[in-house]
Amino acid sequence: MLAIRGLRKSFGGRVVLDGFDLSVEPGEFVALLGPNGSGKSTVLRCVVGLETPDGGSIEVGGNAAMVFQKIHLVGRRNALDNVCSGALGRLPSHRSLFFSADVREEAMRCLDRVGLADRALDRCARLSGGQQQRVAIARALCQRADVILADEPVSALDPQAAVQVMELLKALAGEGIAVVAVLHQPELAQTYAHRIVEMRAGVAA
Amino acid sequence: MTLTSPQESSVPRRRWPSPVVWIAVAVLLAVHVLAWQATEFSPAALIAGWDGMADFLAESLPPDFSVLGKSLEAAVITLYIGLLGTTFSIPFALALALLASRATTSAAWAQQAARAVLSFLRSVPDVVFALIFVTAVGLGPFAGVLALVFHNTGVMGKLWAEAMDESDRGPRDALKVTGASGPQIALHAVLPTVMPSLAGLLLYRLDVNVRSSLVLGLVGAGGIGFLINQSIKLFRFDEMVTHILVVLLLVVVVDQASGFVRKRLGA
Repeated sequence: MLAIRGLRKSFGGRVVLDGFDLSVEPGEFVALLGPNGSGKSTVLRCVVGLETPDGGSIEVGGNAAMVFQKIHLVGRRNALDNVCSGALGRLPSHRSLFFSADVREEAMRCLDRVGLADRALDRCARLSGGQQQRVAIARALCQRADVILADEPVSALDPQAAVQVMELLKALAGEGIAVVAVLHQPELAQTYAHRIVEMRAGVAA
Repeated sequence: MTLTSPQESSVPRRRWPSPVVWIAVAVLLAVHVLAWQATEFSPAALIAGWDGMADFLAESLPPDFSVLGKSLEAAVITLYIGLLGTTFSIPFALALALLASRATTSAAWAQQAARAVLSFLRSVPDVVFALIFVTAVGLGPFAGVLALVFHNTGVMGKLWAEAMDESDRGPRDALKVTGASGPQIALHAVLPTVMPSLAGLLLYRLDVNVRSSLVLGLVGAGGIGFLINQSIKLFRFDEMVTHILVVLLLVVVVDQASGFVRKRLGA
């Protein structure tokens, strides 16, 4: 589902990724661990196209969606609109001014999947951190993601919310989505991930 | 806790301003001396001419309130000029701001072109626009509205583009990952985020434009500014004072109203 080979990236002469390899099967939950600056986030950002790699290859069998540490929802819009925006990539311009009924129905199913259908019309800024991160995951689902890349998805959350988000990601992997999560807590990785990849100095250790 | 001895970390030396700063201060002073001379700035002349101002005030008091009805009517026209001048500039300001902001436009040439248009519109004063439009549509409020639309598009477009520039990058990145196009990101990430700022700036510009439309009246664009100009030309300073009191009222009302709404918006 996801195959990364020999990925290289440097920022201003500082080598961040030095030939990184990773392949993830559908339904697999991989945790990326490693010290700060070891290139974990850069791998994910290269996969979704937020950074351009200097070399190597990335193959994604389907849609890749991203979940961020800082969540990055539009706080002033309600949860449903935020989830709908996951569908923008497949909507033509003339249909993206207002979301049509079928997009809203699909978005409601995604919100229901993360357990927040009852908060659909609440502004995201009024939801708790854990709820916001689940809305962000629903947005990834509305993108019809085959691969979810989560960049420290629980670092900003309290322990209880972190467990909820990790369980949700694991359950989504159980439904066939390939999940790669950058984590800072080894115990969470051991509890939830199928496989742990340690990174050090831009390569898999 | 023990204090570190000077050997381990010596106290940094006090740093005096560099010669560049001294030269800059000297140049600034010199420019002020030149400006003083060029503007014939002279407190003595003000004191010597004090009686002229006293005569003027004596003639203008008490105010002639018989023109109050006419004055209020004209004040409403002034308000309308400011209102339409602001409202009709919204679509142009929005389109140019979206093109000029790096949050919504990635093509450098489009950004530069939009910024050039905005800066041209901003640098031509509204009074100059009014004089130009008076030659096309004649004396009257319509010329004033057109002048404000042009000038305000330049100012508000720039303020809006800056508000968009400062918007959080995160939601934009998140939508980029979903495969959204530039216009889709502008519509679903940037605009919803900056809407309160845009509305606040709009109200601030309404406030400024109502005051500008007074000055436009002086060059023939109608409204209460026109009445003030007329009463000065006829040496009816008592009428002028009535008009000025009405202007004061108008400005305070608009200022308070826009301040109240801006506070509610939290912008």
